[in-house]
Amino acid sequence: MLKLIKLKENNEINIVNNLNDFKNPANIYIPIISNKTFNLNDYVYKNTYFDEYIASISGYIKGSKKVLINNKIVEALEIENDFKENILNKKKPKKINDKETLLNVLEEYKLSNIIDKILKLKNINNLVISSIDEEEYSLKEFIRLSHHYVEVLDTIDYLISIFGLLSATLATKNTNFKSIRNVKSIIGTYPNIKVNLVPDKYLISYKKFLCEYLNFNPEETLILTTNEIYDIYLILKGKDIAENLITISGNALEKSLIINVRLNVSLEEVIKEYIKITSDNYEVFINGYLKGQKVKKLNEIIITRDINAIVINKKENLEVTECLNCGACQKICPFNINVKKCYLKKLSHRNCIGCGLCEYICPAKIKLKEIVMSDDNEKL
Amino acid sequence: MKNYKTSNLVIQNICLLIPLILYGIFKNGYLVYEKGLINFVDIFKPLYLVIIGVIIKIIIDVIRYKKIKIDYNFIYVILVGMIMPNNINLLIYLINFIILYILALFLEKYFRFNKVCFIYLIIILINFIFNDFSFKSILEENYSFSFSFLDLLMGRSIGGISSTSIIFSLLGYIILISNFYYKKDIPLTINLIYLLLSIIYFINTNDNSILLNSDLIFASIFISSLPEYSPYKNVNQIIYGILIGIFSFVLAITFNNIISVYIATFIVSLFQNIKLRKKKVKLSILE
Repeated sequence: MLKLIKLKENNEINIVNNLNDFKNPANIYIPIISNKTFNLNDYVYKNTYFDEYIASISGYIKGSKKVLINNKIVEALEIENDFKENILNKKKPKKINDKETLLNVLEEYKLSNIIDKILKLKNINNLVISSIDEEEYSLKEFIRLSHHYVEVLDTIDYLISIFGLLSATLATKNTNFKSIRNVKSIIGTYPNIKVNLVPDKYLISYKKFLCEYLNFNPEETLILTTNEIYDIYLILKGKDIAENLITISGNALEKSLIINVRLNVSLEEVIKEYIKITSDNYEVFINGYLKGQKVKKLNEIIITRDINAIVINKKENLEVTECLNCGACQKICPFNINVKKCYLKKLSHRNCIGCGLCEYICPAKIKLKEIVMSDDNEKL
Repeated sequence: MKNYKTSNLVIQNICLLIPLILYGIFKNGYLVYEKGLINFVDIFKPLYLVIIGVIIKIIIDVIRYKKIKIDYNFIYVILVGMIMPNNINLLIYLINFIILYILALFLEKYFRFNKVCFIYLIIILINFIFNDFSFKSILEENYSFSFSFLDLLMGRSIGGISSTSIIFSLLGYIILISNFYYKKDIPLTINLIYLLLSIIYFINTNDNSILLNSDLIFASIFISSLPEYSPYKNVNQIIYGILIGIFSFVLAITFNNIISVYIATFIVSLFQNIKLRKKKVKLSILE
C-alpha cells in the first residue's frame, strides 16, 4: 500500500468532464473469431451476437476489414448502418432473485468479465463497487458514477439482496468531487451502502491494493466497477448493452473527449467526427499511457467493451541511455519484482501486471515493461 | 515522464556541488590571497580544476558522439576536481586527468569501478611519488590555527580543495533525500559506522584526530552513493555502507584519514557488480 504513488500530472493534457454521445456511426466492425461464413449484403439486426461481439446497429454486411483485438489482427465484418435500429427479439426486463439466475442472465449478455469475477470466489462476504479509474487519462468510472449515480446505487442495493449480504462498499477517489457530491446527496436513502474515499494513487483500483486499503480479504471480496454495475442495471431494465464510454485524450489532440459510443465502431470515425489531431507524428495507446498497449495504426482500432481510454500523444524522442543502476525500477514496483535482474537476464516475471511504473520512473528510459511482462521471454 | 531523465538528475547534483566549490574558492583562494600568499588568479584554483575536467569531458564527448551528452560523467569530472589536494599543480593535473579519464572510459567497457576514486587515487599516487604532496593550503602550511567545532563544521578543516564544508555537504544530503533515485542509506551507514568506530578508538586511545572527517562526509554523500557504482537493493546498500565505513576507519588510523574513504569506496565498489561485459560473465557479489 505504501509503495503506491500518485503520478505526475501532464499539464499538456486537460480532460473536460463533458459527456458526448456518438449514436449514429456509418459503419461498425464485428471481429469474427469462429469459422462461420457470411454473405455480402446479408442483413444484421441490432443486438445480434457474433461470438462475444454485439452488433450495436442494424444494417447490411458490406465487406470485411482487418482490426486489432487483444494485440492480434483479426478479420472483422463491416456492417453499414441503415439507421433503423431494427431489433429481432426485443429483450424484456429481468427479474433476478439469486446468484444462479444472475449468472445465467450475464451469460446471455456475454458479460464474461463479471461471470469470471463471481465464479472465482467461493464465498462472497464483501461487495465493493469501484468507481476508480486506473489511469489519469481514463474517466470512465468517474463519469459513469457522476451521471448515473441513482441507477448505480439502485443496482448495488439490488445486488446486496441477491448475494445475501448486509452491506456493500462504494469506493471512489477522494479527488472525484462531482461524483462524491452527487452520491452524498442521496446516499441517506441507501443505508446498506457505505461510501469509502480512497487516495488518488496509481493502481489503487487493483484488487490486491484496494482490499488492503479497505481491510477486506481478497478471497472473499467481489469487486465490480460502476460500469459493470450499470451494465447489470441495463439488463434488469431489459435494455441493450450496445454502448461503451471512453476517454480520448492526449497532447496530439486539439481537445480531449469523453464519449459514449456504439460498440465496435471504428476509432478513426469517432475522431474524424469530433476531434482534430494536431500532430502528424503521434503514438496511440489503448487503455492508458502506462498500462496500455501501443498501437501503430489508428484505423485498426475498434471500440470494444474492454476499451476504457485512448491516448494519442506526440511521439516522444526520448534517448535511451545505459542503465544507471539507480534501482528506482525495483523501488517503485508494487510487487517487489527485481526489475533490474529481469532486465539484465532478459527474463519476464510471472508477477508482473504490466503497470508500467518501472518504465515511467526509469531515468535512462529503458523499455523495461516490454522485457518484464513479455510472454515470449522465459519466466523468472 | 519527461521529468524523470538522467540529465535532470545530473543538473540537480551539479547545483548541489556549486556551494561547495564557492566555499573552496573562499577558503583556499580568498583567505590565502588576503594574507598575500597567492596572487589574484590563484584564488579561483578550485574552479580551474573543475573547469579543466568539464572541458576535457566535453571535448571527448564531441569526438566520440559528435554532441555533448549530459550524463553522469559530468558529475564525475567535477567531483574529481573538487577532491584534489590544495597544492596540486594545474599542468600536472591537466595531463594526468586527460590520460586517466580516457583510460577509465576504456576500462569501463570491461568492468565497473568507481571512476572518480580511480582517477583521484592515481593522481594522488603520482603526486605522492614525484611531488611534494600535501592537503594543506599555503595558509595552513604557514600558520597555526585553533579552530572551534563550528569552524570545522563550516569547512575550515584540512582536506580536498572544495570538499571540506560539512554544512554544505549535509545541506546537499538533506535535499538529495527527497530525490527518489538517491541511495540515501549509503551515506548514513558509512557515517554511522565510521563515527561509532572513531568514538570507540577515541575512548581507547584518546586520539580525536580522525573523529570529524569532512572528506568522509563529502565522499559518502556525493561519491560512494553514485548510482552506477553502488548496489541498488536496500540490504546490499547497507552492507556496502558498513564495508566502506569499516575500511575507511581502518585506513584512517593506519594510513591517511583524508584519502581513506576514497580507497575504501574504490575497493568496495569493485566488489559490487563486477561485470566482464565482453565475455558476458557476471560475477555479482552485491547486486
